[in-house]
Amino acid sequence: MTNPDGEGRRKLPHGSDLPGRTPDVRGAEALRVTIGGPDPIVVELEPEPQLGPEAGRRVHALARRADDVPGSRRFEVVVGGWRFEATVESAAVARLRERGRRSTGRTRHERLVLRAPLPGRIVGVWVSRGDVVEAGQRLCSLEAMKMENEMRASRAGTVEHVRIEPGMRVELGDELVVIA
Amino acid sequence: MYSDVDAEAPHVRAADHAVRIGPPPAADSYLDVGAIIGAARMSGADALHPGYGFLSERALLAEACMDAGIVFVGPSAATLAGLGDKLSARRAVSEAGVPVVPGTLTPIAVAGPEAAGRAAARAEEVGWPLLVKAAAGGGGRGMRRVDRAGDLQAALLAASAEAATAFGDGSVYLERYMDRARHVEVQLLGDQAGAIVALGERDCSVQRRHQKLVEEAPAPGLTPGQRREVHALAIQAARTFGLSNAATAEFLLGPDGRFWFLEVNTRLQVEHGVTELVSGIDLVQEQLWIAAGRQLGERVLEAADAAPAPASHAIEVRVSAEDPAVGFLPVTGVITAWREPGGPGIRVDSGVEAGTRVTAEYDPLLAKLLVIAPDRPSSLARLRRAVDEFHVGGVQTTLPFHRWIAGDREFGAGRVWTGFVDDRWHPGPIREMAARRAARLAAAATTIPARAPMAAGDGNVAPGSHRPGPDHAGGTIGAEQPRAAGWATAGRRAAVERWPR
Repeated sequence: MTNPDGEGRRKLPHGSDLPGRTPDVRGAEALRVTIGGPDPIVVELEPEPQLGPEAGRRVHALARRADDVPGSRRFEVVVGGWRFEATVESAAVARLRERGRRSTGRTRHERLVLRAPLPGRIVGVWVSRGDVVEAGQRLCSLEAMKMENEMRASRAGTVEHVRIEPGMRVELGDELVVIA
Repeated sequence: MYSDVDAEAPHVRAADHAVRIGPPPAADSYLDVGAIIGAARMSGADALHPGYGFLSERALLAEACMDAGIVFVGPSAATLAGLGDKLSARRAVSEAGVPVVPGTLTPIAVAGPEAAGRAAARAEEVGWPLLVKAAAGGGGRGMRRVDRAGDLQAALLAASAEAATAFGDGSVYLERYMDRARHVEVQLLGDQAGAIVALGERDCSVQRRHQKLVEEAPAPGLTPGQRREVHALAIQAARTFGLSNAATAEFLLGPDGRFWFLEVNTRLQVEHGVTELVSGIDLVQEQLWIAAGRQLGERVLEAADAAPAPASHAIEVRVSAEDPAVGFLPVTGVITAWREPGGPGIRVDSGVEAGTRVTAEYDPLLAKLLVIAPDRPSSLARLRRAVDEFHVGGVQTTLPFHRWIAGDREFGAGRVWTGFVDDRWHPGPIREMAARRAARLAAAATTIPARAPMAAGDGNVAPGSHRPGPDHAGGTIGAEQPRAAGWATAGRRAAVERWPR
């Protein structure tokens, strides 16, 4: 990833909000710029159109890469002979993404919640509370659209809850199994 | 002649006739005497100019040329052999009455039962700190600084092993390390009739890894008397092995104003251009005339007469693919943009262009930027302007360092020493300031209208416009394919998709 998580974040004199605050109405305008390198510099600021002419001479758009954050743009900027790679994205979007990453991160580390990917009917349950499961072990089976879908554990752990039993109907997003 | 790495290089394309001499490894191309003589024979060459670096100082190549009936544009094989061995040069020059940097005049034994004890005794005579140097050395290889007796043995072994690998000769000697000394060298020309002249001196104190970064002519702050003195010492040193063609005698100038002989480089040097600018003499042309048997001409003799009181000042900076923020570590990559400065008093010698791939195969030097003006302050002002005008994209270069030194107070006052870069270059805050400016410029770049052509970018920013640019596939800002949804829309979509349920 081109965007480090919060580490080494600094502010320009005219920078807007501190990262992590609720995006306000100006949020769409504020940009987050990450200057890459061994010690990345992250700043949030609003674009200054009067710098456009200089930017036209010193900034060069770089090709998209597969692992770029959607909606971000990468530039090469040469200032005083120094060559930088800058990633620019909406500051509000960056904050939302970070928050999302934090919550999924917590889930991943504390518990894995297996949810129904489709509405359907449970046809088999092979684990019960307290079982120790391996990554890849099958947990339950969901029949949906006349297809049986085996649900497997994406990581090893201990089964904390089993919310289902065979024959039960489930809706999209319902909790099936929780692994701690 | 060129190796596969350089097949598409601008200088190869510019040549009337170019011959491939081998694959990328230097040992199989630029260091392969057989391949080089073969290429010279095949193209019907009368003479061969060895350039600088690689085999340019090797007696082996000069002898091979002689055997093949090709004129070697450089000193004779005997001169190359005599001065190429730094220890034999130190002995001969010292006997001729030229003060050499204090140290040993015979090799130090690194192996054997009593070697360690003898080496330690000789080191005590030289004094601390000292340098362990390779007799066959050059370019800082086979060189170690030693501050304490306890570190001597390890340094001797390491330097000897390094020299054996790099030069095929593991002989090492000791030399006193002179603190706050300057590196001053004298450009020499000699003809086949035995005349030798000095065309002026250069100061090359600004170095990293014992390799030069900035060179200027004349050396700042010397009196005409000091110049005459060092020019005469250089000629005396060159006479020991006879000199026809071009060479450079290198000296250390101590804080007490005394000159100490270091070595003679028996070839054209990278930094010869500053002497060309100040003396008005085309050194490569003179090399060819001398090789053709001509005596030194009237213009050369006049330039030598004028050398103690030069009428102009020239500075060269080496633009290399290196990161000055991390110890001038060489970097590789593709040069995506290349714009050289120009105008009166500017000279750029370069071998790359946009699209050139910088590999780790050879030296990271991309270009030499030279400026000349009537005096040193105007020369520095011109350098500042030229460095700012020099634009390189795709790879980091040494330009930020040159920008700094061109405005540095100590350098401006002519106070330089060989430890200048280590002592004074602190890139952290300089780079950080540039990074903050870069962040503002990157943000501003998103306001440049999508369809505006890059070349006319200066006048194309709508006042007060905050229009988002389009998603893009790389390339010049504004010249990219516009899409209906801008980054803001795409960003919102992404946020919705990634919002945790």
